[in-house]
Amino acid sequence: MKRDAEQKVTVEDLLRLKRAERPPDEFWARFESEIRAKQLSAIVSKRPWWDRFSGVFAVARRHQLSFGAAAAIALAFAGVRFVGGYSEIISAPKVATVRPAAPAPAAPVRVAAAIERTARPQEEAELALREAAPQPRPAVVAATVSHMTQVPAAIAADAASRSLFAGGIAITLADFREPATSYPVHSAFGTDSDFEPAIGPARQQASDPLAQVDPAEERRARLLAPALPAYASGSPRAVAGDWMRDRDTSDDRMYESMDKEPNDHMLVGFRF
Amino acid sequence: MHASKTLEKTLVASPERKLEADADLAVVRQVQAGDVAAFDRLIVKYRERVLGIVYNMTSNREDAADLAQDAFIKAFQSIHRFQGQASFFTWLYRIAVNSTLSHLRKNRLRSFFSLESVREDDPVSKELIDALTDKTGSGRDTFVRELQEKLNDAMQKLSINHRTVVTLFEIDGLGHQEIAEVMDCSVGTVRSRLHYAKQLLQAELQPYLLK
Repeated sequence: MKRDAEQKVTVEDLLRLKRAERPPDEFWARFESEIRAKQLSAIVSKRPWWDRFSGVFAVARRHQLSFGAAAAIALAFAGVRFVGGYSEIISAPKVATVRPAAPAPAAPVRVAAAIERTARPQEEAELALREAAPQPRPAVVAATVSHMTQVPAAIAADAASRSLFAGGIAITLADFREPATSYPVHSAFGTDSDFEPAIGPARQQASDPLAQVDPAEERRARLLAPALPAYASGSPRAVAGDWMRDRDTSDDRMYESMDKEPNDHMLVGFRF
Repeated sequence: MHASKTLEKTLVASPERKLEADADLAVVRQVQAGDVAAFDRLIVKYRERVLGIVYNMTSNREDAADLAQDAFIKAFQSIHRFQGQASFFTWLYRIAVNSTLSHLRKNRLRSFFSLESVREDDPVSKELIDALTDKTGSGRDTFVRELQEKLNDAMQKLSINHRTVVTLFEIDGLGHQEIAEVMDCSVGTVRSRLHYAKQLLQAELQPYLLK
């Protein structure tokens, strides 16, 4: 090997040697015939059906940033719409149109209540808002005697204007639940003597059903009880009240469904 | 308009490449218009360079012939998608390099080399061999063969990407920007790969480097 100080061979020179590695001339004749055969078979062979979409994919690949951003925005919009709609459903349930019972007056009155089944959406929204607003906890109703509770005069008048039978058949769906009794919180080490006076008023309030019972109604119910052998075991007035409520509720549903039918060709209308 | 701007950016360093690209584009338009025979001109023009790239990447002349032919067929099948945003030459190189990389990754464990002989009718290679050895006759041929195998071993020790960069830059004479387009990477990546590959080659070929 020559080792001339003036001559320098670098890596680039050695790699340039590889350029001289070339096939003989006869190789190209074979190469050309082979490539021509392959080209012909490529022309003849049918392209697969999915190859038609390659152009679309090529466009999508070229504009992948734009498509990606558009897809992200669409997904975000759809997500917000879905979550927003879901939260509306959660926050304003349409079934929550029952008005809470008003505070019981000092003198017991015959109870009447109404359901606003045919309320317009606006009215329902108002009711929902009223329901959501903090309201004073209603007084405990003597529900053990009758499920009928007193309805405020405005509601009764509204119900009467809706139906001729409102005064008679209006059924209360007032909150039958007893208000949550707020028991005072005691420490785990409190004594019974501390607990009993604290719990006393709440317990008294919940267990005084006769405070609002009409004596005349009570007497009449007692007299009618033998005449109703089928319900002899239960309170006759309560049973009658349940039956009336069920009947009128089903009637209301039927009228409501017929009244709300948006059929212009239907000439027969039911209005009560 | 956009295509010509891209082309200008690609080939700004070599006006002759721009002329070449324009001529290629005209032929490509003919093929796209249905003149299938026009594609033969592109094959004849680029077959040696495509084969050279594939051969120097695989170090196997049979595989190189197959891969080069496949690259031309793929280009022919997809020529309707070529819009002239890059030069045809870059596009064809990209097809060839990607096919070769895929082939090398698939046959990573299979290493069978078959080298072409060095043609000494090339003045550059003759001068280089003269500089490296003073032997003549069979001794000279043996030395050239040994050097060739040593070069091939050194190239095979590089990773596929490094080997590709060295092949495209040192053997085929592409610029950094063109290599970046062919390999779909940044120019910085090309430079760094080239630097690293040369360091490795220098260490491997130290006995053949004259100081």
